[in-house]
Order: sequence, then structure tokens, then C-alpha cells
Amino acid sequence: MAAPELAQTDPEGIEGVRMTWMNWPRSKVEASKCVIPIATSIQPIRPHVDLQILPYAPLRCKTCSVVLNPFCRVDFTALIWICPFCLQRNHFPPHYNSISQTNLPAELYPNFPSVEYSIPNYQNSQNFNQSSPIYLFILDTCMIEEELEFAKSSLKRAIGMLPENAMVGFISYGTQVQVHELGFSEMSKVYVFRGTKEISKDQVLEQLGLSVSGSRRPGPGMHKSGGGGPSPVAGAGPHTAINRFLLPASECEYTLNSLLDELSTDQWPIAPGNRALRCTGVALSVGTGLLSASTAGTGARMIALVGGPCTEGPGSIVSKDLSDPVRSHKDLDKDAAPFFKKAVHFYDEIGKQLVNQGHVLDVFASALDQVGIAEMKVAIEKTGGLVVLSESFGHSVFKDSFKRIFEVGGEQSLGLAFNGTLEINCSKDIKVQGIVGPCTSLEKKGPSVASTVIGQGNTTAWKMCGLDKSTCLTVFFDVSSSEKSDPAGPTSQLYIQYLTSYQSSDGQMRLRVTTVTRRWAAGSEDLVQGFDQEVAAVVMARLASYKMEMEEGFDATRWLDRNLIRLCSKFGEYRKDDPASFTLNSFFSLFPQFMFNLRRSQFVQVFNNSPDETAYFRILLNRETISNAVVMIQPSLISYGFDSLPGPALLDVQSIAAERILLLDSYFSVVIFHGMTIAQWRNMGYQNQPENQGFAMLLQAPQEDSQLIIRDRFPVPRLVVCDQHGSQARFLLAKLNPSATYSNAQDMMHPGSDVIFTDDVSLQVFLEHLQRLAVQAS
Amino acid sequence: MAAPGGPRPGNFPPNYNPNSLSNNMQNLQINQQQPNNAGVSAPRPPPNATPFGQRAPAFAGSRPGPPPPGVFPRAPVPPNAPAQTTLPPNMVSSRPAGPPPGSQLPPPPFASRPPPPGAMPSSIGGPVTPSPPALGPRPGSYPSSPQTSAPSTPSHGSGSGPVSNGPPTFAPRMTQSGPPFPPAMGSMPRPLVGPPQPPAMLSSRPSSQPMQMHSSFGGPPTAVSSASGQSAPPFSGPPQNMMPPLGSSPFSAPNTGMHQSINSPYGMQTWPAQPQQVAPPPPGSMQQPPLMFGMPPGGQSLPNQSMAMSHSGQSNIDPNQIPRLAPSASVIVHETRQGNQANPPPPATSDYIVKDTGNSSPRYMRCTINQVPLTADLLSTSGMQMSLLVQPLALAHPSEEPIHVVDFGESGPVRCSRCKGYINPFVKFIDQGRRFICNLCGFMDETPRDYHCNLGPDGRRRDADERPELCRGTVEFVATKDYMVRDPMPAVFFFLIDVSMNPTQTGATAAACSAIRQVIADLPKGPRTMVGIATFDSTIHFYNLKRSSQQPLMLIVPDVQDVYTPLESDVIVQFSECCEHLEMLLDNIPTMFESNRIADSALGAAVKAAFLAMKNTGGKLLVFQSVLPSTGIGSLSVRESEGRSNISAGEKEAHKLLQPSDKTLKTMAMELAEYQVCVDLFITSQMYVDIASLSVIPRTTGGQVYYYYPFSARSDPAKLYNDLRWNITRPQGFEAVLRVRCSQGIQVQEYSGNFCKRIPTDVDLPAIDCDKTIMVSLNHDDKLQEGSECSFQCALLYTTVYGQRRIRVSTLSLPCTNMLSNLFRSADLDTQFTCITKQAAIEIPSAPLAQVRDQATNVCINILYSYRKFCATVSSSGQLILPEALKMLPLYTLALLKCIGLRSDGRIDDRSVWINYVSPLPTPLVIPLVYPRMIALQDLNEKELDDSIIPVPIPLSSEHIAIDGIYLLENGVDCLIYVGEDVQPNILQQMFGISSIEEIPNQFILQQYDNPLSKKLNDIVNEIRRQRCSYLRLRLCKKGDPSGMMFFSYLVEDKTANGFSYVEYLIHIHRQIQNKMA
Repeated sequence: MAAPELAQTDPEGIEGVRMTWMNWPRSKVEASKCVIPIATSIQPIRPHVDLQILPYAPLRCKTCSVVLNPFCRVDFTALIWICPFCLQRNHFPPHYNSISQTNLPAELYPNFPSVEYSIPNYQNSQNFNQSSPIYLFILDTCMIEEELEFAKSSLKRAIGMLPENAMVGFISYGTQVQVHELGFSEMSKVYVFRGTKEISKDQVLEQLGLSVSGSRRPGPGMHKSGGGGPSPVAGAGPHTAINRFLLPASECEYTLNSLLDELSTDQWPIAPGNRALRCTGVALSVGTGLLSASTAGTGARMIALVGGPCTEGPGSIVSKDLSDPVRSHKDLDKDAAPFFKKAVHFYDEIGKQLVNQGHVLDVFASALDQVGIAEMKVAIEKTGGLVVLSESFGHSVFKDSFKRIFEVGGEQSLGLAFNGTLEINCSKDIKVQGIVGPCTSLEKKGPSVASTVIGQGNTTAWKMCGLDKSTCLTVFFDVSSSEKSDPAGPTSQLYIQYLTSYQSSDGQMRLRVTTVTRRWAAGSEDLVQGFDQEVAAVVMARLASYKMEMEEGFDATRWLDRNLIRLCSKFGEYRKDDPASFTLNSFFSLFPQFMFNLRRSQFVQVFNNSPDETAYFRILLNRETISNAVVMIQPSLISYGFDSLPGPALLDVQSIAAERILLLDSYFSVVIFHGMTIAQWRNMGYQNQPENQGFAMLLQAPQEDSQLIIRDRFPVPRLVVCDQHGSQARFLLAKLNPSATYSNAQDMMHPGSDVIFTDDVSLQVFLEHLQRLAVQAS
Repeated sequence: MAAPGGPRPGNFPPNYNPNSLSNNMQNLQINQQQPNNAGVSAPRPPPNATPFGQRAPAFAGSRPGPPPPGVFPRAPVPPNAPAQTTLPPNMVSSRPAGPPPGSQLPPPPFASRPPPPGAMPSSIGGPVTPSPPALGPRPGSYPSSPQTSAPSTPSHGSGSGPVSNGPPTFAPRMTQSGPPFPPAMGSMPRPLVGPPQPPAMLSSRPSSQPMQMHSSFGGPPTAVSSASGQSAPPFSGPPQNMMPPLGSSPFSAPNTGMHQSINSPYGMQTWPAQPQQVAPPPPGSMQQPPLMFGMPPGGQSLPNQSMAMSHSGQSNIDPNQIPRLAPSASVIVHETRQGNQANPPPPATSDYIVKDTGNSSPRYMRCTINQVPLTADLLSTSGMQMSLLVQPLALAHPSEEPIHVVDFGESGPVRCSRCKGYINPFVKFIDQGRRFICNLCGFMDETPRDYHCNLGPDGRRRDADERPELCRGTVEFVATKDYMVRDPMPAVFFFLIDVSMNPTQTGATAAACSAIRQVIADLPKGPRTMVGIATFDSTIHFYNLKRSSQQPLMLIVPDVQDVYTPLESDVIVQFSECCEHLEMLLDNIPTMFESNRIADSALGAAVKAAFLAMKNTGGKLLVFQSVLPSTGIGSLSVRESEGRSNISAGEKEAHKLLQPSDKTLKTMAMELAEYQVCVDLFITSQMYVDIASLSVIPRTTGGQVYYYYPFSARSDPAKLYNDLRWNITRPQGFEAVLRVRCSQGIQVQEYSGNFCKRIPTDVDLPAIDCDKTIMVSLNHDDKLQEGSECSFQCALLYTTVYGQRRIRVSTLSLPCTNMLSNLFRSADLDTQFTCITKQAAIEIPSAPLAQVRDQATNVCINILYSYRKFCATVSSSGQLILPEALKMLPLYTLALLKCIGLRSDGRIDDRSVWINYVSPLPTPLVIPLVYPRMIALQDLNEKELDDSIIPVPIPLSSEHIAIDGIYLLENGVDCLIYVGEDVQPNILQQMFGISSIEEIPNQFILQQYDNPLSKKLNDIVNEIRRQRCSYLRLRLCKKGDPSGMMFFSYLVEDKTANGFSYVEYLIHIHRQIQNKMA
């Protein structure tokens, strides 16, 4: 439908910001009447061709710390700038003396609402090494030989791709946790932690001999560690001691490779009828503890490859007995998941610890069963970690996704960055409620903090331990309750400044300053004109997911329906109680359909999925760009046929035809669906006959397009190639509007089409109801 | 028994001895006792021990003994050394180098034991890498040597012969009373015989004896004196007897044999082979026994020794007259039963060969009294205690018949259905063999059908002589499934090494690794042998030895408060699979940790972790520790200093330091024992390590403590290696349960030793070896039947290192008596005193020292008092009268009081070590521990080469120390060589390679130089090592030096700052008795 068209534009622009309402309602009351909350999405470090990198420090407003920006009024003669946020007058420092109307620094160019300052490292250059990022791999060994081999080979490839100065550590675990001391040359050496016992950060440090309590003697003592325990005599301070476990990739690649060659599946016996004893929880806390010994401010990723559910020790999500299934949504609903709350709490604590340290937790789960992503979700999300769920370590969903993490530079690079901090300054009538997305509140109070909280709130600053090019946050705003007339007049602008400091993947410190200005809406028309229905749909999806998690007994479907009706009531044009008269402005026209698909999506209909999958979907929903999130809500469908150019097709069962190929992009999976006839021809090999080159090309086209989609996407989606009436076709059918079902098949059926066996209402029915309800007197 | 040299040495028929002995002393006593003796005990007379005179050299060797301090020339030692280190075979090879000719021959049979010495040498050479030399010689030499020895043996055998032939000769003697004696003498082929004649024998000592009492004390004795005068010689006689052995070359031969045997003992494999070779000697040997007999010309009276003591006491005693050990060097052949009567065993410290004729060999089980009092009153009147010392896996003399293994098939051994006693020679079959009466509980059982056999006219089963279980005192049954709660466990050896800063710097770690490295080749072969290794400092490092890669994987367990095993499998793997990895690892550990700066040591946690790794199988955990465990589970604090200050505050609490500091380790030890893990602790320390607390683990798990203090990287690795080697290669069993059953009327009161006690009736032994003895104290729960015999049966269910489940059953049946005099006559001094010593050791940690010391003296006094009062009526009040069998009791008791364990001036750890050492110690080693053997070395050269290797011991009195002499004193643990101030420099040069006394090094390593003196010295040391199954810590001592002080502290007959001299002590005892009498 419309999604592809929109995607071609660049709605974010250099700002990287989109808003539900371009023009903001003036007052709290007005805002609430708008139904869709005032929210902006921001991609804090979105790359842009025009982005300027400024090699000097920013100027800040004396009172409100806002950074100099194009919206400041500048008095070139007096060398004064006036902060648009607080109206404070600031003097330019001497090195700005030469500025003039024609000689503007980049940060004052109106074309550059976003600029990036490259901040020279405050630490001297020697420390540069220390801030090279750390990659701590945590590998589950409780899996079958074949899977472990897949995982190992992926790991080896990853290590080979790491920059030479990247620090690498390795932990393997099964029933117990093994921390490999890579710096020990005499033999392979591992520290073993029991999987059943919760262990604090300090204990980890002490037991690894990294405790700071020992004398912190300076000087790089050549510790030929015979196991540098926590002895007070041990000469090596923690900074050097950590080098026993974390070594530059260039130094430890060989060691690691041979170590991986030696590594076998977990040897602890598994009683018949039981799950493998797997202590993912302890492994993660040991990893966290180990990382805590690294220099403060060093970016680090803890990359866990998990092959199954945690069954041992803290963080267990299920009992060892195979006859107890892993918790389902139903269990969670009925509070019949005895491990759940404890595990969630446990992983939350790990998450907090990681956030304190500024480190990231990435989880790559490959298993047929659940592994506990639902429990780990908060930890992953708060640290800005990546998560990939797949069925096997040999599957491309894992393999290719994993590989992409380590690509540096080039289009494929995710642009992973560390230690991000986002600060928001805004005009004084604007309050920040919070952020939904991969970040953690830093609890920085200020006048702009709203009293109601959504997501990570109570602050104007957030920590993003890990972030990347496509990381997207949703900021919820509120406006001051007062209706007071604005002193600056009805045309006055509102300003929001986003300050994102982060450590880029090459170790540089950057500060991205994005200053946006918007108008206060002068009236309803202004509001309508400024409505961004894509953002609105995504915000509603994110908000609904958030509420489903946070509010007990929250009925997402009803909530979405009610809001949609209210929105239509407010912004639709109709005669009261006359459904037929109902029309919607084009700015709103797609929104009902988005809501229809959202209602049917995995985000709302969670019972079709496992809690792990739900968590996975939500994590991605919250962190992906608006356009990607829209695809998650409402997949795009492209049709390929002999008689027409490839083009978007209706997301409807009617789009299925025997002589067509359909390409469905539902974000998590990409489905190539061959109509019945196409499939038959293909099976007969027509495409191989020279006279049927057209057919070959037809077959080829969706393949190529799907590769385009897959190439740019992280995590790599699952590619499903299927034929009409094949079992895999369900991946397509589930997403289509059930305009033709078994109940109305007779009416709708046309040759080559299909029906969907469902009782779900179709879009048409949904819209009819909507119209009817919208026009009712509220 | 009459441990003291006197009685024993002569193997008189019991009858004779008593009289003679008594005669020697003072007549008075004799008379009284005689009646009793004659009647009841005649055949058995305790003194009989003597018949056996010569011990099997293979074992500990003969007692110290011969009075004349012969000076032996020293032989070049070195050769031996190498041999020892290596396996038994090596021994052989080595031997040639050293004492070549003599040693080889007769000894072969014994081969089994001796090994220790052999091992030693290698270590001596280079502490670090002792092995190489030894190894070389081994293989080649080995095969050849045995053979050679075998042939030679017979010839020697004749000399030593006593072994098998013994019995025949014996019998005649028995019958004969006093008279036979001379003939016996004559019969003796050897020169030894000469000595038998009492008078002649006397030599220095005997002469003194007669003198003593009468002359000095005057009046009272006189009456007696006439008699005594006569008798006196006999006393001396025994000692004399001792003499002969020394002189006699034949003995020496056996000894040499010992050397060979030495080799074998270590190596299990060699062991079995030897006996066969040995077998031949018997015929010749017969002769020896006679010799022994000759000695005791005595009448039937009880053997006494009396001394006149003036009331005022003090100075009147002639020191020469007081009882002393008489050495016995010849091998005694002992039949456990003769004429269907229990035959009292020879002294535990003598050299004897046992012929099992129904009763268990005394090696496996011996009783403090060889007749059982009918009532508890009788026993308590005697002042003696009735206990058994059981050593179920004791090493046999190579000439002895191996224990028969009896397989009853699936039904298992026949047992009494009520008391579960095992079938034994004393079970009485009745009703045409259809039923049998249990000799233990008296219950009548049906004979299993397939075990039925008709009875002969003598009432015995016709097949009794063909069935070992019906004619042997000790047999081994093959256990059936019923005796297993699981499959027999594999032989698991887990090494745990302290690698914290201290041991890595002192070289202890390197020594341990080196020792293990060499020893692993001696582990039992086969797929059932598993090994594991771990090191620890403040963390525990396991090693995965089963890897395809080039290197082992080190797995560190850092949580020492709550430990776990880092792998479920692969920490302990089959030895054959990991041999190379293990060797490489052991080579690497010292360098890997050489710069370790971690001072903390988590011993308790390491033991726990190793235990968890071994939990599934059980096995032996060998721990090498050097410092006080300061972290983790069971960590300890330095409480010695606290204790010291307390001592000044009040002596009362001092013994608390000898108790474990808390229950943590005890609890852990119980758990270890439950899972069949046995811990041996090798402490290579230079500081206080709180042995009192640590030792709980080995004691409870059937292990032991080895203590190297202060550890010296120069001189101790050799000992460490040899100790470890013996520990691993000696005969041993796993997952054992021991139980002693007694006939009705007697019951087991308590067991003590190194084991775990969970239920009162059974002794749980995660491991048991040939050196472990358990004391079983007995009491009456009823009156016994007059004229009956009382049986004791010790059953040990265990798993061999090769995985067979066996039940070793030893049965001892002793006559009952209601005569007090019989009790005294049949008292076994060595056993009695061993019990006294062990009891003292048990009490030390729990009672004030003064109380323990008084207790020891009181036991002695009570026994003597009882004897004086009830059995020695005639004597004058001025005389101290000692039962012959127990005449050494006062000296031993005095020596006991001067042991480190019963002194307050020693280091706490030393005292704890002493207590622990005593706990499982077999009788033959308890005596020298308390009363060490001292020999003079300066005139070695003047002795004939064919003399017995070890010169005659001299009394432990400084009167016997000359300023130009060199003396060697050993107690089975330490070996001190004292160099007088005026020793000739050339002797020093020859023996030690130093030119003056000033050059005496602190850390002494015995080397063999190319001269006869050095060779002899080395031979002597090696012989001692062989006898003791211990490498001994060698130390050179000189006057005016702490080492000299230490040497003199062993001279127990001297007066010390807070201890009596021997004479004073006798007077003290005498007074106490007199007080009681009054």
C-alpha cells in the first residue's frame, strides 16, 4: 500500500526527527482532544550526507546549557547570541570574533539543524587504547555438537573481523560458567563459576583476582599470573589485571581460535527426561562483573549466544523437567509461571549493573524452544542491546545478522556506538514524559520533566549504552496545562534540542546536536495539516505494547478501537449519526488501516506467539525506524505478473492470483509467494527454456528485491519461499486482510484466488463499524 | 610379651624361660609364680617369644638390641640410594654397588618390604630429580637379581633357616623343660648358639645383673641371691642371646636379603613373586630356632626381674643391673598354635616368621595378654588392660605362606546366622558335620548342604586340613554381591598441591611435583587406576587431563567459601589416558607458579573441591600443604601464639591447642569418609600450620599426616618422594569396613585408630594399608567358662587396588585362665605398652598434661603393684620386683614421659604430629618411637663384614656417649647422627666428606664415598629404612648446637631438667608401690 511510497522520501531529514503532530496543540486540554499523543521519534545518530562534523567544542548557554544553534538570534556586532529556549544573552568567546552574517560557523547555518561535534578526548592519547571497545563473548555450550560448531565458526569469523585494537574476552558456559583467561600463556586456563549460585559483581572481581581492594600499585607489572588472585601482594592493579581476560583481538585471535577448536559441548550429564543444565543467568552476571573491572567509560558489548532456556541457578526460566513446558502467555496471564518474576528481577538487576557501567547486552538466541528473551528483555532494552531470535546457529537469520555486527564502515555497517547519552532541552511550556525505546533514564530532574511518566521518564537525560545508526527513540511530550496566552504571540515557535553524546565505533567521542523548531498550532486545521499518520501509527503501537506490559489487564484492542473512534470523531467530517457521510482528511486516510493491521499484528495478538517472540518483536518495534516499524505493523506487498510491472498490491487475500508472484515484507520475514500456475510452470522447469526467458525473469525479480530488503535489515529477516496452497503459505495468509473467508467464499471467489480460514473481520467490515461509531454522538 | 631383650631373645619353650628369667633376677619372685606357670601356661610361656628370636628381616627388622656396641666400618652408601629410588628391581641393582655381595642372597625372599631404603637413595643424590639414576639400573638388574638371590638363599637359609623348619625343632623343646636347653644349643649350627648359654652370654651386662641387686642393696636380697645368682645369668642370657645374633653372620645374610625385599615391597608386583623364591630356604633354617631355645634354661617359675631398692631409694641402684632391652637378631619361627594350644607370639619388634597353624598371625592381630582372664575382676586386679591390636593388611614376612583366598562362589562365605561370624578353625562341627556351633556366639547352625562333610574320629571334619578356612587363622574370602553396595571402586589417586607463595619459594611445590612425577609410574597398572590433580592457593586449580590438545586445561574454582567441582568428568581420568599430560603438567607446575605472589592458601576448600570431584568413586586424596590455611572453608588462625601466652596464664588450657579449633573440618572429614575418600596430608612447612585441626581429616578418613618441618628443599625431597612412593605402592585396600567379634563374655569396648566411626560396632575405612593398626579395647560382659578358649575374630571387608572385593578374616583363639600369674606370664609387653602409648596419645588433647603423665606412670605402678602383691609374696620390701614379661615397662614408661607428645616444651605442631603418628602406628614401630635405637658408628671398621648390618644398640644414656664417638639414633621417624667433639678427622672425612666438626652442615644429605666406612654407614641407614618402612629424616648433630640438644633429648635414661633418670624413675616407682603396699 502506501508504505513503499512513503519510504522513498526522507521524512526524517537531517534532523532525524519525526513527530505525530507537526504543529503542536497549545494546551493540555487541546492536546488530549487530539487523541494521538504528542510524540517525536528521533534517530539520535542517524547518518546524513549533509551532516557537518565540527572539530571543536560547542558553545553552551550560560543558564540552560543549550548549545548554540541556527535558531539563536545573533548580534554580530556585539558578538552576542540569544538562546531561543531561555532568552538568555550569551557572549561569543574570542575565537568567534570573526563571525559575521556571511561568515557563519556551521552550527549557525539554518540548513544544518543537526551538527556533530567531534570532541577531542579529554584523556590523553595514551588512554585511547583503553577506550577501544570491548567485546565479551558468552557462548552457551549446552547444545548439540552441530549447533555448537555453527556457533563456533560464527564466533571465529567475528573475531577475525574485529578491529585489531578491540579488546576481546570469552566466557563459555553450560552447567557452570567458564571464564577463559586469554592472557595466560602456559596453558589454557579458565575460571569456573558454579551455575547455581548468584554471584555479585564484587565476588566476581574478587574471585577473578580483579578486586580493587588489593593494592592498586601503578605500573604495568608483568604479571606472569600464576593466577593473580586477590592477594594484596599481587602487583598488578585492576587495569592491567583485566588484561588477563581481555586482550586486543590481534593478540588473542590465535588463542581464541584454538580454544574454540578445543571447546566441546557441555560435559555435565543430563538426566533422562530433563533439560540441559544451563546457567545463562550466572554467566551473564559473571560477564557483567568481569566487564566492571574495565576502565570506566570504555564501551563494551557482552555478546551472548544462547542455545536454550536457563534452567540452572538464578535467572532460570523453567524447571529442569522436560515435562514442564516453558511459560506461555497464558501462563503469564494466569500467573502460572513460577520462575518468571524472579528471573525478570534477576535480569533487571544485571541490566542496571550494565547500565551503570555503560555496557551493552546483546543476545543471540538460537533454539527451537524459548530461551528467556522475555525475562531478559528489560536488560537488553535498557542497555540498548541487540537481540536476534532464530531457530539455529546455522540459520542465516543468525549467521548473517551476527556477521553484520562486526562490519565496520561501509553500508553494511550497523554503525554501532557506545556510551550514548541523550539530553533534551525544550521550550518552557513543554514537558517530557519519557522515552520508549532502548535507553535508560538517568533520573536527571529539571523543569521540563512532566509529572506523568511514559517509559523511561522522570528525567531529561537518558543513557544509551549501545546505539546505532537506526536506533530510534520515541519521546512523549506534554504541554503545560495553562492556557495562558503566549507572550511571543500566536505565531511563536517551540524549540526542542536533542544533545546526543556517544562514542563512535572507532572510539571517538561525538556530540550530536539537533535543534528543531515547530509551530504551535493555530487551530484545528493546523493540527490536521501537521498530522503524521505513520508516526502516529508507530507511536500507538509502541504505546499499546508498553501499556500491555505495564498495565495489568490492559485490553489493547479496545484501547486502540476507542482511540481510533475518538480520533475519527474529532477529525473526520460527517454528519452526526450518518455513517455514510463520513469522510476523512487525506492526512488521516491511512491511519484506520494501520490500526486495523495493528490490531491483528503480533504486537496485539500476543497469544499466537511465545512470550520470547513477543518480547523480541517489541524490542525491535521500539528501537527501529518509523518506516521499518510501519512495515512491522502493516507489511508491504508487491505483486509481480506478466501483465504488469511489479507494483504494490493490496494487503488483501484478493491479491493472490495463480499467475502472480507476491513478495511480502513483514519485517521479520520476507515471503515470496508463487501463485499456483507459476509454481507449476516453475516445477516443470519452463524458466530454463530459452524461449521462456520472460518467465525466468519474473521468477528472478522478487528474489532480487527480497535480497535488497534483506541486505539492509538487521536482524536479517527470515526468507520464506513458498507456493500457493503450500504449508509455508501461512506466512503470507496470516498477514492478509481476510476479505475472502470460508464464510463468504461464494460471493468473493474469483479464479486463482484464495480464501483465508478465519473468523477475523475484514478491513471492510472494520471500517464500516468505525464509521458508524465515529459519527455517533460521543 | 617380654619385650625386653632378655626373655624374648631366647626362644625358650615357655616353660623354661620363666624360670630362668626369674632366676636371673631374684629368686623371690620366681617361686611364687612358678607354680602357676608350670601348670597352666607352661607350654605357652610368654617369654616364648624368644623362640622366634630372629625376625623376618624383611620387615621392620629385628629389635635394637645387642648390647655390645660394635663399631661398624662404614660402607659407601650411594649405590643403594639409586636403587631404592627406582622400583624394586632397582634395588637390586643398586645393592650391588653398595653392599653388594652379602646383601643379595638370603634376602630375596624379603624383597617385599625393604623398598623404602632403595627409594631413598635416588632422592639423596639429587632432591629434585632423583629418579634418573635409579631408573636406569632397575629394569636390567631386576630380573637377574632375583634369580641370583634365589639360589643363594638356600645357603643362607640354612643360617637363617628357622623359618619353616622351626616347628619340628620346636616341639621337642617344648616338651623338654629346662634341660633341653643345652642340647638345643648344641644342635644349633650357628655360632649364635654360643650365646645361648646364659653364663657366657652375660658378657658385660649379665655380669652386672647378678651384681646388682644383692650387692648394692644388701640384706634382703641375699636370701634370694643364691637363687638369683643362678638365675641371674638367664636374664642376662636373653640379652646375651641377643648378642649372638649380632655377631652371627647368618643374620646379616637375612638382612641383606632384606634389602632386596625392600625393593619389592614398594612395588606391589614384585612382592608376590618373592615368596616363591623364598620358599626354598626353610629346610636349612630349622637350625636357628634351636639356638634360641638353648637360651632359656629356666625352671617353671614365673619370670621376674627384681631389684633391690633401698627405701631411701636414690643412689643405690647399680645402673648395670637395671632392666634393659636385650637385642635379638635371629629370626624366630613362630607357629601360631602348637598342640592345639595358642602359642604366645614373639615380641612384636623381633624378627619372626609365622606359620599359621590355626590362630591368626600376630602380625594381623595380637592381644595384650595371651590368656584371657575369666572375669573382669581378675583383669582389673592385674592392673593390665585387655586389648587387641589389629593390623589386618600387615606385611607378611616373605617366607611366610601367603594368605589363602577362599571362594565360596555365589553363596559367599559360611557365616553364623546369629552373630554373622565367619567360619573359622574354631567352629565346632557336630552331628556328623550337619551342624556347627559358632565359637563366637555359641549358636548352633545348620551346615549348608554343599558345605557338608563328615567328621573324622578326632571330631574334626575330614576335610579340615584341605580347607584353609578351617585350618588357618587368617584367610581371605572372595566377597559376593551381597557385600557390595556398588561395584568395587576403582583405584583413584588425586593429588592436591599447594602452590601459594610460600611453598613455591621454599621449593616444596617443586618437591611435591617431582615426587609425584616419579611415583606415578608405580601406580597400579590397568584400567581401574584413575588419577586427578589439582593445585591451589587462594583459588583451586583443577586440570582437565583428558583432552586432545597438546595441553591440559586449567580450571579454576575461585569461590573458596562454597566450592564445587569444575567438571563432572575428565577431572579424574584413567591413568593410561592421561599419563603424558600428567607428566607434562607436573613438570610445568613449579615454573608456572614460581612467581606466584598469593600468600593465602585455601586448603579446606581445596580438599572439599577435590572431594566433590571424587565423590562418585571415592579414592585416595594426597594433599601437599605448606602453610596455615588462611582462606576459604575451614580456614584457620594462628592460635599458637595465643596458646603460648595462655600457658603462662594457666597450664590447664594448654591442651586445648591440641584439639581441633572447630568442627568444620571434622564435619567435612565425616563426609569424605562417607564417600570413601581417604586423605593423606604431606605437610612441608616452615611454620605453624595447626596440625591439631588439620589432622582431623586424615585421621577420620583412614589417612595419615606426613610432616616435614622445617622443610628443606635440599634434604627433604628425597624423603617426600619415598614416603609418597610407599604410600602409593604399599599393600592397601579401599572402601573397607572392619569389625571385631569376640566370644561370649567378652565384648569390644572401643576401637581407636585412623578411621571413621559412624556406628559403634563397625569401623569405616575409606582406605586401609599395611601400616595401619587399630586398637580394640575389650571388656567383659560376662564370666568366661573355665577351660574354654576365647575367640576373637577380625573381619575386614575391602576392595583391592585391582578391584576385587575381599573379606580378610583373622581369628585368634586364646585360652582362658583364672590365674593372675598366668596373666602376667602371658602378658605381651610390646602390645601392652603400645596400648598405653596410644591411650596417652588419645588423652593428650583432652586432658591436662600432668594428668596424662600421671596416668601413664600409674598404669605402670598398678601393674607392678599387682604383681608384687599377688604374685611375688616372698620378696623383701626393699626390692622392686618386676614380672619378667613386663620388666621393661618402667623404662618404656619413662621414655614415654619424655616423648615430645608428653612434654610441654615442644612446639604445638610437633606434639600434634606425634599424637597423630602414634594413632595408627603398628606395635613394632611404637617401641622404637618411644625408646629409640642408638648405635655407635665410630668403630664400624673394626667389625667383620659379615656381621649383621646394624651394630648392637646401646642404652639411651649419655654415659655411653664418648667424646670421640659417632652415634646414630633412630626412632623410625628421625635419624640423628651425633658427632662427638673429638672425633678423628679422618673418620669425618670418610663418612661425611668433611674435615672438621665445624663443617657440619645444617641440612645433611647422606652420601656414599668410596671407602668402607662410608659404605657401612650407608648400609646401616638403608637397613634401618627398610626395617622401618620409612626413609627417616637424617640430621647431623654436634654438641653446643640445637641439633646436639635434640640428640640428647632422646637419651631418655638421663636425668633432665624436669624428668627422672632411669634409676630415679625406678626408685620413684618402687616408692609408689611400697606406699600402696602399706
